[in-house]
Parts: sequence; structure tokens; C-alpha cells
Amino acid sequence: MANHRNSGCGPYRACWIAFALALALAGAPVAAEDTVPETSWGAPDLRGTWDFRSITPFERPKEFGDKAFLSAEEVAAWEERTRKARAARAERDPVQGQGDVDGGYNAFWLDRGERMTGTMRTSLVVDPPNGRVPPLTEDAKRRSAERLARWGKVPAGPEDRNPLERCIMGFNSGPPMNPGAYNNFAEIFQTPWYVAILNEMVNDHRIIPLDGREHAPESIRLWKGDSRGRWEGDTLVVTTKHFTDHTNFRGSGPNMVLVERFTRKSGDALLYEYTITDPDSFERPWSVAVEMQKTSEPLLEYACHEGNRAMTLMLSGARTREKQGQAADDWLASWYGGARAAKAAEERLAAEEAKESDSEK
Amino acid sequence: MTRTPTVLALILLIGIAATPARGQVLDTHTPDGDPDLNGIWQAMGSAHWDLEAHAARPGPFEELGALGAIPAGLSVVDGGTIPYQPWAAEKRAENLANWVKLDPAVKCFMPGIPRATYMPFPFQIVQTPKAILFAYEFGSNSRVVRLDRPGSEALAPSWMGYGLGRWEGETLVVDVTAQVPDTWFDSSGNFHSEELEVEERYTRVGPDLMHYEATIEDPRVFTRPWTISMMLYRRVELNAQILEFKCVPFAEGAVYGHLRRGAATSEETEKESGSGN
Repeated sequence: MANHRNSGCGPYRACWIAFALALALAGAPVAAEDTVPETSWGAPDLRGTWDFRSITPFERPKEFGDKAFLSAEEVAAWEERTRKARAARAERDPVQGQGDVDGGYNAFWLDRGERMTGTMRTSLVVDPPNGRVPPLTEDAKRRSAERLARWGKVPAGPEDRNPLERCIMGFNSGPPMNPGAYNNFAEIFQTPWYVAILNEMVNDHRIIPLDGREHAPESIRLWKGDSRGRWEGDTLVVTTKHFTDHTNFRGSGPNMVLVERFTRKSGDALLYEYTITDPDSFERPWSVAVEMQKTSEPLLEYACHEGNRAMTLMLSGARTREKQGQAADDWLASWYGGARAAKAAEERLAAEEAKESDSEK
Repeated sequence: MTRTPTVLALILLIGIAATPARGQVLDTHTPDGDPDLNGIWQAMGSAHWDLEAHAARPGPFEELGALGAIPAGLSVVDGGTIPYQPWAAEKRAENLANWVKLDPAVKCFMPGIPRATYMPFPFQIVQTPKAILFAYEFGSNSRVVRLDRPGSEALAPSWMGYGLGRWEGETLVVDVTAQVPDTWFDSSGNFHSEELEVEERYTRVGPDLMHYEATIEDPRVFTRPWTISMMLYRRVELNAQILEFKCVPFAEGAVYGHLRRGAATSEETEKESGSGN
């Protein structure tokens, strides 16, 4: 493998030539009809800040049936419908009790964009063909129930809350990145040997070596996984694995293998596709496609942990209620369905345990 | 002040000595033609404990024994000491006396600039002509130095500041403004106000060496600007990579421990010790 440290790859030129050769051999550039911006060393240029806001539903809504693609008119109609729904929401009185406190961001906080993604698909999920995440395995259902049961209870300490509320992870920075409520921006930095992705959400960076090195040992588990990249023609392909037990993307587990594909299009578009393979958690692999748009919007610092008053308030609230003899679990805000979902999850776990002990008899 | 030329001469010597033959100097430029600062870098020494000269001292937790003690270090401050105004010198002493409770890095808060540079963790520079990413292992913190918008101002204060960079010969000069007043310079209570302005200078002086200098200006706290300087070393291991040190889970006890179920509140502790008398 090319010695990437200074004195070895230091002959920048040598690496560069090897790199150019690799590109040429891979049958790489250049689509004749439209020009893809390139770096000075001839790679597709991924640098810049990318906006991945989108109102395309993650999974295909029932109303679209078997339909995978929309016409331009249908896209416009969907966007109009979303604008109207938001206007109606904006008129709502912001303080209407628990329902609004519970993840009750008003329009000021939300920044989902107003456009469907450029693929003109009915969902971000492109595979399976039905546009829906495949069913969870039994093991993944159990893990999910355990999480819900824990998060739905009054927390004994910060460890009982989810990684998003603890500001360990962002809810849309992944990997994989996925349009969410706000902070849907990523800045990409690129050299011949590295690509780095900085997400505005939680200021989190991911550094992806392109020099063909092996993954770090499996014993090192990482919240964001261990990423390695390579060029396949004009597409940057990034493989990420070795996630932690706490990693959870739509039910995924620590053995998820994530393959992301970044393809620079002409103009201001970057096609971002990813495939999740995790037999522990999903009945089959599944894939998503989102088109990102280049933006000149500045990336801002999101000091989540430094400003995490919510954790202090949740915990002090919990201790106060306990002191007052009100230890019920039904007051706590949760984005995961709250006390009702937690109760259902607990019943499910109890039923499973009963079943297991029956079968042991 | 006479120190600086000596240090620079020394650096030049080291640089020349460490530069292999065959025109390696040219190879320190990126394909885009800028001086090349790409790499994984790390400071050595104990400046993160105390910028000023300090003897070894016991750490706060006896259980950790020798491993928990604080190593000695020479001053990285030009002229040796930090020129505090009298009120600020007193506050610094208070900070030092209560540092475990007050040091923002104990809480896994972003260290700010310059402290992020010499935390005892590596950081990686990923360089493009318009923007340079500094990706720090500590806290998985990040900041971007912008080269394409000179004269612009921060939209809001931040923990890692607003960094505007420019090239002066082979040196990257970064003006850092708009830092929140909540960060410290080390674990010895050295502090600043929101008037802090830092000028950083990064200069490659050898294949695996980078000279780092930061001039600190804060008229509310200090009597004059002052400068720290140190060497940064490249992590040359072939498999070197920035790993995660997401420290929130390690710091939650320090930040929220008093709010855990069963934790004695300070009120209760006082009451208990009172009733014991």
C-alpha cells in the first residue's frame, strides 16, 4: 500500500501519479455531455457545503401504491401540500400542554426545506422496490423494545436517555446522513488521500482514508463506525462498520455494514446513496437515495452538550417529582412515543419472557 | 523578546537538518499549490496542564496514584509568565484552587482555541484551498478555518471561535475571534473573557514537525498581548488515524452526577453532617 505519511507519499507527485493511474484504470472520467467539476488532481470535486434537506417521505406513503417515481406536476403538488400543512401548523398556539412540549418544536426550529429530493421518487428508500424499510428481525424487535422501555421511564441518570438527548450523536448526521428536522448540512473536505465530512449536527467529523488501508481492529467499536473509501469510476464509495451496541439507525445493530456512494453531478448536485446490510436486524439489505445541493449557507457550530439544559431539567424534574412522591412515568417527554410506547414495549418483553419460560418447561 | 529569534533560528536549523535531500521542500505543497499542513499532528509536553512552568504535583484522585499525578513542565509562554491584571491574577488563583469543579474540559466542553491544539490528543488537518478542517480527537470536536472570506465577521459567538486564515509565506496565520468566555487555556485556571482574540501561526519546519505559535490578546484580563509557542509532531505510524474520544459519557457524572437518583444533594449532605454533630 502506498505509504501515505509524508516522507513516503511525501513525494506528492508519485502518489498523485499512482492515483491518476488508478483512476484511469478504473475507467473513470468524463461524461461527455455534462461536465462534472474536478479537483486539480483530476478527481470529481466533492468539496463544499451540501444541503440535504428534503420533504420526500423516507418510506413510500400508502397513497402512492406501486408508484416509484412522480411527474413534475405531482412533485409540485406534494410541495404545495407541505407548504399549506406547515402554514396551518404555524398558526397553532405553541403552548397546548404536554403534546407540544413533547418534541413540540414550532416552525422556528424546523428546517426541513420545501423541496422533494431531485430523484423525483415517492420515497427516499429506493430498495426494496416497495420503498419501505424491510421488516426487523426478532432480535432487532427485542432490542428496539428494550430501548423504548428504558427511554420511556423516568431517568435515574443521563445514561437512561437516548444518545441524541445526551448529545453524543446527532439525529441526522449518521452515518448514514439522513434529512431530519434541522441542521441538514454537511461540509466535505477532500485531498488525494482523504475525504472528511463535517456535519453541522453536533459538529461531528468523519475522516475517510482513501489509501486502501485496512479497517481498524473490530475490537475498537465507534459511535460513527470506522470508514474507508475508494473511488469506483466517478463515485466515491465509503464502507463503514464496527459500530457500537448503542448505534441504532432505524433498528440497526453493531454489525451493520454501511456502504455509501457519493456521485458528483453536473451543476450543484451530489447524489448520495447508501445501502444498509445488517442480517442481525433487517430481513434483507435496503437502500436509500438523496440528492444534495451545493449551498453557500455558512455551517454554524452546534454546541449540543455545552448547551444541554434539557438534560439538567429532565433530571432535576424527575428528582423533584420523586421527592413529591410522584414517581409515575407518564409525564416525560420522549420522541420515541412516550410512556404509551414504552408500556407496550415492556408488555412485549414480558410476553416474550413468559413464552421462553413456557418453552423451557 | 530576545527569545523568539533564538527559537526561530533553532527551528530553521532543525528544519534544515530534518529535510532529506532531493528537493523535499517543494513536496510540502498541496496539489493546489498551498503550503501543505495535511496530516495528523499532536503536541507533546504538559502545556495542557499548565502553560507556565510547573513542578510535578499530585493529582486530585489518590486512587490513581502515580498515574493520576500531574507531570512537570517548562513554560510555553514567551517571557515565562502570563501578564494578568491584578483582579484577574486573583481569579486565576481561585480557578486553580477549584479546578476539578470548574475546568470546562473536565465537563467535555469544547476546549476552544488555542487549548484544542495542545490537548493530549491528536488532531488532523484536512486542507482545501478555501477551507481547512481541524478535526480534533478530543470530544470529536471540529472547527473550520476559512480562507475565502477575509474581513467577514462571526454570525454568533462559538466555543471554537471564528477562524479566518491567510498564508504569509509558508505560514498559515489564523485570526480567531468571537469565542465564548467559558473556555480555559489549561487545567490550571488560566482564563480569558469574551474580548479574547487569538492569532495562530502554523509553520511546517520539517517533514514531521510543525511550529505552532498563538498570540493572545484580551485587554479586559491581561496587561498586554502574550505569546505561546510549541512544536507539533506528526503521527507517523502507518495506521495512524483519529479515533473517537466522545467524552460526553465519561463526563456525565461530573456534569449531572448530583441529579442521579440516590445522589445526595448538597443540602442533604450538609444536613447529615450537621445532625452528626
